[in-house]
Amino acid sequence: MEKKNLSQKLKEGKFVITSEIGPPKGTNIEPHLKEAEHIKDEVDAFNVTDLQSSVMRLGSLATCRLLVERELEPVFQITCRDRNRLALQSDLLSAYVLGVKNVLCLTGDHTTLGDHPDAKPVFDLDSVSLLKVATELMNGKDMKGNELDGKPEFFLGAVVSPGYEPLELQIIKMEKKIEAGARFFQTQAVYDLLSFEKFMKAVEKYNVPILGGIVLLKSAGMAKYMNEKVAGVTVPEKYIKMMAAAKKEERAKVSVQIAAELIKGMKGLCQGIHIMPLGWEKYVPDVLEASRI
Amino acid sequence: MLITKLKSSNELDEFFSKKLFVFKCFGCSEVYFPEEEINNFASGKQEKISGIAQIDYLCNEDFAKRYIEKNVDRIHNCEGIIVFSCGVGVQVVARLLENKAVYPGCNTFYLNGFQGLTVLECDCGQCGQCYLNHTGGICPITSCAKGLLNGPCGGAKNKKCEVHPEVDCGWISIYERLKKINEGSTLKKKGVLIRNFEKIIKGI
Amino acid sequence: MIDYTKYQIKAEEELRQLLDSVSDILVLWCKKCYKTFEKEEESECEKILKILDVSDKLKGCEAIDFLCNRYLTEKKISSLFGSGYGIGVISCGLGIQTVSKIAESKGVKVFALADTKPQSGNATSIRGYHGITLGTEKCAGCGQCYLGITGGFCPVVDCAKSLINGPCGGAKDGKCEVNSEKACVWVEIFKRMQKQERNLDVISQIRDNNVFTFEENRKISTFSLSRRTENFYGGLHPYENKHITENLAIEKFPASKYLYIFLLQHTGSPASLCVKEGEIVKLGQKIGESSGLISIPVHSPVSGKVVTIEEKFHPALLINCPAVVIQNDFQEEKDSSIKGYPEWELMQSDDLTEIIREKGIAGLGGAMFPTHVKLRKPKNPVDTLIINGCECEPYLNADNRLMIERAEQIFEGIKIARKILSVDNVIIGIEDNKSQAIEQMKKLTERESWIELKELKTKYPQGAEKMLIKTTTGRQVPEGGLPLDVGVVVLNVGTVFAIYQAIVNGMPLIKRVITISGLFEKPGNFEISIGTPLKDILDYCGGGKINDKESYCLRMGGPMMGIIQTEFDTAVIKGTTGYTLININPIDVSEENICIKCGRCVDVCPMELYPLYYAYYGKNQLWDKCAEYKVKNCIECGCCEYVCSSKISIVSLIKKAKKNAYNKT
Ligand code: SF4
Ligand code: SF4
Ligand code: SF4
Ligand code: SF4
Repeated sequence: MEKKNLSQKLKEGKFVITSEIGPPKGTNIEPHLKEAEHIKDEVDAFNVTDLQSSVMRLGSLATCRLLVERELEPVFQITCRDRNRLALQSDLLSAYVLGVKNVLCLTGDHTTLGDHPDAKPVFDLDSVSLLKVATELMNGKDMKGNELDGKPEFFLGAVVSPGYEPLELQIIKMEKKIEAGARFFQTQAVYDLLSFEKFMKAVEKYNVPILGGIVLLKSAGMAKYMNEKVAGVTVPEKYIKMMAAAKKEERAKVSVQIAAELIKGMKGLCQGIHIMPLGWEKYVPDVLEASRI
Repeated sequence: MLITKLKSSNELDEFFSKKLFVFKCFGCSEVYFPEEEINNFASGKQEKISGIAQIDYLCNEDFAKRYIEKNVDRIHNCEGIIVFSCGVGVQVVARLLENKAVYPGCNTFYLNGFQGLTVLECDCGQCGQCYLNHTGGICPITSCAKGLLNGPCGGAKNKKCEVHPEVDCGWISIYERLKKINEGSTLKKKGVLIRNFEKIIKGI
Repeated sequence: MIDYTKYQIKAEEELRQLLDSVSDILVLWCKKCYKTFEKEEESECEKILKILDVSDKLKGCEAIDFLCNRYLTEKKISSLFGSGYGIGVISCGLGIQTVSKIAESKGVKVFALADTKPQSGNATSIRGYHGITLGTEKCAGCGQCYLGITGGFCPVVDCAKSLINGPCGGAKDGKCEVNSEKACVWVEIFKRMQKQERNLDVISQIRDNNVFTFEENRKISTFSLSRRTENFYGGLHPYENKHITENLAIEKFPASKYLYIFLLQHTGSPASLCVKEGEIVKLGQKIGESSGLISIPVHSPVSGKVVTIEEKFHPALLINCPAVVIQNDFQEEKDSSIKGYPEWELMQSDDLTEIIREKGIAGLGGAMFPTHVKLRKPKNPVDTLIINGCECEPYLNADNRLMIERAEQIFEGIKIARKILSVDNVIIGIEDNKSQAIEQMKKLTERESWIELKELKTKYPQGAEKMLIKTTTGRQVPEGGLPLDVGVVVLNVGTVFAIYQAIVNGMPLIKRVITISGLFEKPGNFEISIGTPLKDILDYCGGGKINDKESYCLRMGGPMMGIIQTEFDTAVIKGTTGYTLININPIDVSEENICIKCGRCVDVCPMELYPLYYAYYGKNQLWDKCAEYKVKNCIECGCCEYVCSSKISIVSLIKKAKKNAYNKT
């Protein structure tokens, strides 16, 4: 029997788990692939970030292909920051021929936030228009309506930030993304189940699978930093206290415990989770183990 | 609105390896002009300066011509010309004095508002396909750091832009404006907007 | 010349869609900027009407100048919001955004009916600016000007790909691959560099797209914007050049042999002569008697003999007027009428006012309005006396020095005026570029609760009465009104000093302090007798340059409002604040130049007028139209002319307009 892919699993109502790979700044990709292989039985697919935080790195598409070669399922993240509409469409076609079908369309961080602040930001398209364009490609046409010789097939995803203020605005955009072709969503990190539940209620009607975002807390300091700086993220006081109280060598354990608690809570609410380990890949199995009911 | 800042002294020193005639344009000084810096710099280069003409609105070809006529001898004897003005003034002089090397003494930047009434609070992205009907009259191209047309990115925190933390997120401002004029719901109805850059080349 | 008009009406289909959803609509359209001002109205509304059949929806149409000027636009359009109609705007994006912002609080919907035309014509560098005049060159404000290595061609705007390291391979026959009509700028660059025998620089440039940060842009914009409305709307910051005479103590100007005393030295009717040819007069003796309600006497500044009464060239009216010529006997023999009242506090207000009239005191700030008229029991209650120590006119320091050196006398003069007006509050306004004067005056005002010294941000024309009242009290003198209408009397520091002299020392107004500045060889601040011939000043202060009329220009007063002097056989009058000798600009300011609607004059007019219409209608001698644009409200401050990018002599057109529009008999 053929292995089921992300889209099929979601269709069948499996609670899916995705994780993330951040390609290195350089060519040393092997350790990252190893990490992924290590947890491949627990994880349904791996997002590959596209020059995350506008920092120049190894490309997302190449890494996705390497995952395919190892029979791991990638989710190709593609941003509008660095490519104009020509490159974006072309890269989408490339992805398809390289066996990459899951595409997560993002606007992308601004160039000035990364390590090349002097770069020219492109932003020719944005996440919504990119989704629309990808859908059109699937229909056998490019965005100007020109016929394609061979058309791709994608499982298109997008992101949404449940902790965003004002939330309605985020939902309006989410609706637009769905209209443009998004078939699943991954969210920004969730720490507050109550407000996540509210969010899920509000978007229930759209009937698209949503994978709740999980970011492992590394310290109380990181939690505070995120509260202050990271959009749409609020870590509740109780978790900050838990992290602060933990001894250094116990922090990972506490963090895993918090993540597991959140995942357990999410199981009834959404259709899966998306874990962003940010360097703590090695704890992913522990998290999944601890969150098993 | 264009404004200027003095170029780095390294760059200027290189220009002043020759004997130069100096044009200083003060037309826009009511808005912003690095006058003191220019004067200080020039006073340190006395022996390299063959003459100085202080003028208003060098970008006016007619005026520029008359200044050049008035200084024709001194200009004839110099090895090059340095112009302290915005890029437009420099280009006018360079065109009128085609056979002389003309150097810009300043770098040019723009402030909000193009040639409207000097500086403004708002700005226009000169996109050629005004989107203000969709956005409650706030320009999404200039008020959003990414110039997004279809709603905000996810980066705003406390209603502030992810790129400029002390600046309001343009899209949140747009949304709030729309609600005030009872148009909050229209945002959903609009189709997907995509810019047409060809309009710019064709001048719409 | 090029027409830079920045907008164009939206495509028919889009307009239809837009207007389908509205019921009633009012249309505002901007009269455009940056084009030669040839005709006033080009109705954009008609165009819309022609395109669409919306006449039943269209509830009105109004043309507005410089819609993007929020301050003025708000005043003009706020009344339109009551109707509940939607507002359609035809202008560039700046105008539409401005109207939307104003309409926001009223919950009114605004429709953009026009698209803004991109100025650069370059999709890689979209912004393009053409400078403040109408020319062909454009600049994108890249922040790292490359013109030095490109022979003066802008690669950022003029290369379709904004390439800065040489051409791409696409040019064919020297034409750009994007537009075969356009020369490839890199080919042009190469040709020009060859002509100049220069090499194309080989260093490879990398553009920094973040060189001018948003924050910095904002900082400078906010600064510049705040200056526009600081203290009052408009105004400017001309070169002050106060340093020339700022630190020169007041010096006694050597007595002249002959003095010419004009009988008319104030606003109102001239004094009637009360001496005869050949008569011996004493210092301070009355030689002309006031001849009406708004009139004051004139006095002899010296002792000597009346030589003759003859017509001399009046420095303010610029026509010949009768003047008494007195030969100085250098005896300084005082007239018996000179008798002070140091115990003035015991006197009645009316008696004090009468002394002030009798001593011939007029406003010394330049306006020369008889002071007693201001002090006489006014119809409206006055609650505030404002002392004008601004001296905002560049170059002048007479008031400044007076405050530094004679603060006590000024202070006593203020007390006298306060008693006469029986007001509780006195405000003295001094611009913050006069720190010494502020310090001196502060020593006296600090201890008193009834007087407040306000340090004002330096901005021209802060010293104009209406501006000063606005800044210090927040009150707005109504259009065509007087300070009295808002319960205020304004006196200049020089005038207050003269009041002190008159009351405490019994001295009529025969001397004043003036500043001689600019290109005089010996500039300074002088205490000088009224009637001193200009020639004596030119001799003493080294004003020989004035004979080179091609290059130099002499103004009585400062460079902004000072009156250009063409005849030198004239003399100091009560309203002479000084003389300034300046270079003539090589580009003559002319009435003939054509307005390009840059809007800068509107931006600086402190009276919130639209001076470009005086330039336009004045040139076409349509005086009634000037009146329609309220030319009578103009205070002739000269701000508009100072910034005019076409160098139109707007003020002289204004003067003509005032004469022709209102004196039609
Ligand atoms: S810049 Fe101002 S004056 Fe010019 S068209 Fe736009 S709104 Fe009108
Ligand atoms: S190169 Fe000079 S003229 Fe061209 S955009 Fe840059 S500053 Fe302006
Ligand atoms: S001179 Fe008159 S029109 Fe010109 S700026 Fe002054 S008040 Fe305005
Ligand atoms: S400043 Fe001069 S050119 Fe500009 S609008 Fe006024 S009158 Fe016209």
